Amino acid sequence: MDVMAKTESTFSTREFMGEIIRIEPVMGDAILTTFTAPKKAVAEARPGQFVQILSREPTAYDPLLRRPYSVYRADQKAQTLTVLVRAYGRGSAWLMRQQEGVSLDVMGPLGAPFTVRPKTERLLTVAGGVGAAPLRMLAEAAIRDGKQVTYLMGANDADGLLPARELPDEVEYVVATMDGSAGHTGFVTDIIPAYLQWADQVFSCGPEPMFRTLRAVIHQHRMGDRPDVQMAVERAMPCGIGACLGCVVETRRGMRTACVEGPVFEMDEMLWG
Amino acid sequence: MGMTHANAPDMVVDLAPRNPRELVLRNPVIPASGCFGYGQEFAGSVDVQRLGAFVSKGITPKSRSGNPMPRITETPAGMLNAIGLQNPGISGFIRKYPPIWLSWDVPAIVNISAKSVEDFAMMARKLDDVPGVAAIEVNISCPNISAGGFCFGWDAAMSADVTQKVRAATTLPMIVKLSPGALDIVEIAQAVEAEGADAVSLINTLVGMEIDIQRQRPVLANVTGGLSGPAVRPVALRMVYQVAGSVDIPVIGMGGIATVADALQFFMAGASAIQVGTAAFAQPRVLMDLIDGIERWLAARGHSSLGGIVGVANERYQLRRQTPRAEDLLTMESEFTR
Ligand SMILES: Cc1cc2nc3c(=O)[nH]c(=O)nc-3n(C[C@H](O)[C@H](O)[C@H](O)COP(=O)(O)OP(=O)(O)OC[C@H]3O[C@@H](n4cnc5c(N)ncnc54)[C@H](O)[C@@H]3O)c2cc1C
Ligand SMILES: Cc1cc2nc3c(=O)[nH]c(=O)nc-3n(C[C@H](O)[C@H](O)[C@H](O)COP(=O)(O)O)c2cc1C
Ligand code: FES
Repeated sequence: MDVMAKTESTFSTREFMGEIIRIEPVMGDAILTTFTAPKKAVAEARPGQFVQILSREPTAYDPLLRRPYSVYRADQKAQTLTVLVRAYGRGSAWLMRQQEGVSLDVMGPLGAPFTVRPKTERLLTVAGGVGAAPLRMLAEAAIRDGKQVTYLMGANDADGLLPARELPDEVEYVVATMDGSAGHTGFVTDIIPAYLQWADQVFSCGPEPMFRTLRAVIHQHRMGDRPDVQMAVERAMPCGIGACLGCVVETRRGMRTACVEGPVFEMDEMLWG
Repeated sequence: MGMTHANAPDMVVDLAPRNPRELVLRNPVIPASGCFGYGQEFAGSVDVQRLGAFVSKGITPKSRSGNPMPRITETPAGMLNAIGLQNPGISGFIRKYPPIWLSWDVPAIVNISAKSVEDFAMMARKLDDVPGVAAIEVNISCPNISAGGFCFGWDAAMSADVTQKVRAATTLPMIVKLSPGALDIVEIAQAVEAEGADAVSLINTLVGMEIDIQRQRPVLANVTGGLSGPAVRPVALRMVYQVAGSVDIPVIGMGGIATVADALQFFMAGASAIQVGTAAFAQPRVLMDLIDGIERWLAARGHSSLGGIVGVANERYQLRRQTPRAEDLLTMESEFTR
């Protein structure tokens, strides 16, 4: 090997700087942050995929690692990506302080998206909290493809729900709140059985307890293996590209990375501890 | 892109000058073991072919599914990991990855871990003539089962034993990766040098832990984990400085390197090359920035080669490498008086 050979390359990276062009309040204390992105990143973003956002000054050391956020919207015309950010810890606090005009250090889109089977006509989505983000993008794409979508969402109160204006008009939007301030009083998982016969596929994203209830409800009500269920899981993601093995999910086929082989997994593939 | 004009500084490093099989790198920047997967993971994030070399994830005799989650937690300017060496095992590894690397223009170094001297030697033997494998890095920061789980790398005799058996099993360039948990890391470095290590790399992670005060339990399922990232850098630098001043083989420095200035500190302490782990998780392009930045820094100060700054801040390093050593003087004397 000629060690002095300089490899001229046409290499392009998944890392980019995206300028924040819009910040809007959306639900509870969450915001929508829209930033510019390379054409390729916008064109390739699929529902269920995420971006890793460096959530500190580039010269600072804290918090050291990037934070994952689902792609909420990919706007081909404006060449922008939007993420929904909820106040959680230090990283999200930093991100929420950034103003329009600031450039974010972003990696992505990353991960395996939701898979809508060609034969699927009716999609049921089940959202809890910020799990609303990837499912909104999925609903939008499915409607564009001429499919039917029922979007279920649960929150503590009406303020914690994704505003209906954020979803395409064609989507049937059904909500549940714990305090009864909107829709059904109780858990979103209470209203799932009514839709299970109807749906060809179920897609879910939300907190772990919601997944557990969802799985129990589905096991109780479904016919054979229909509908099939895909879930987008949350794991802290140090690298986001399958290199550290810090984000794994235990599945029937062994340990899988949530960042590359997920975050979307078939419910029946996952082993629950 | 790197510099292409005629007076670009010479960044080439030879990490196994004593070994006929050679380990010559076009530049001194190497992603660290466990932080770069098997090379392919970063293919969409960095130009892998521009790296000096890369080190694979740690491979073990048998496949391992690793530790339960959580395996990683962030700490001030660093992180703790307890991945538990999830890997396909030596045989599965050999079938899958080296054939891919064969067409790459970058030396692939395979990191090996085992719980017995025999297993280390067995893996080295299997790797010896595998096309696509340029060198091995022996991770002696593992528990030795026959020593009741005491870490190989904390004991000079055990470190020497592993090195000797691996040396006998392969002619591949051999890097021994030292553990910062050793009481006297210089003693370990000298012991592995004496048994035929071509180079040493350091440091591996420092053992630490965090407690979740809500759950009143350790954060990591494994209780303890390895600390890495900028938080460990001063400790790593001190150890590189000590070791580089005490051995004659090349030293590969690592631990918290994130910027060109960090890298330069390690070179000035006596490291011939550097490895980068944690910083590349947050910003993969750091690897490319380091290659370009080191080259630019050398050029801006009129250095014709990287070698010109290696060890400049380390008096013992300079004494060792620039003046004849006591043993050499003795041989000269005996030849003279013969
Ligand atoms: C694929 C994916 C998509 C996501 N999409 C969104 C989204 O669209 N909108 C949104 O608001 N959030 C989303 N999240 C969650 C978001 O990444 C976390 O809220 C964020 O990382 C928290 O960072 P922080 O610095 O604010 O909190 P930290 O200070 O890091 O968090 C406080 C505590 O929470 C733990 N923690 C951090 N991240 C996670 C995590 N991901 N899972 C479990 N525990 C964690 C930390 O270890 C710490 O103990 C997503 C996560 C994943 C994996
Ligand atoms: C997630 C992770 C996995 C690691 N796995 C290995 C391993 O398999 N073998 C090994 O010798 N070192 C392993 N290391 C240690 C690194 O190679 C390196 O020595 C250490 O992280 C210090 O460098 P850094 O601060 O640049 O990360 C691992 C480190 C991390 C963070
Ligand atoms: S985040 Fe590193 S492997 Fe998934």
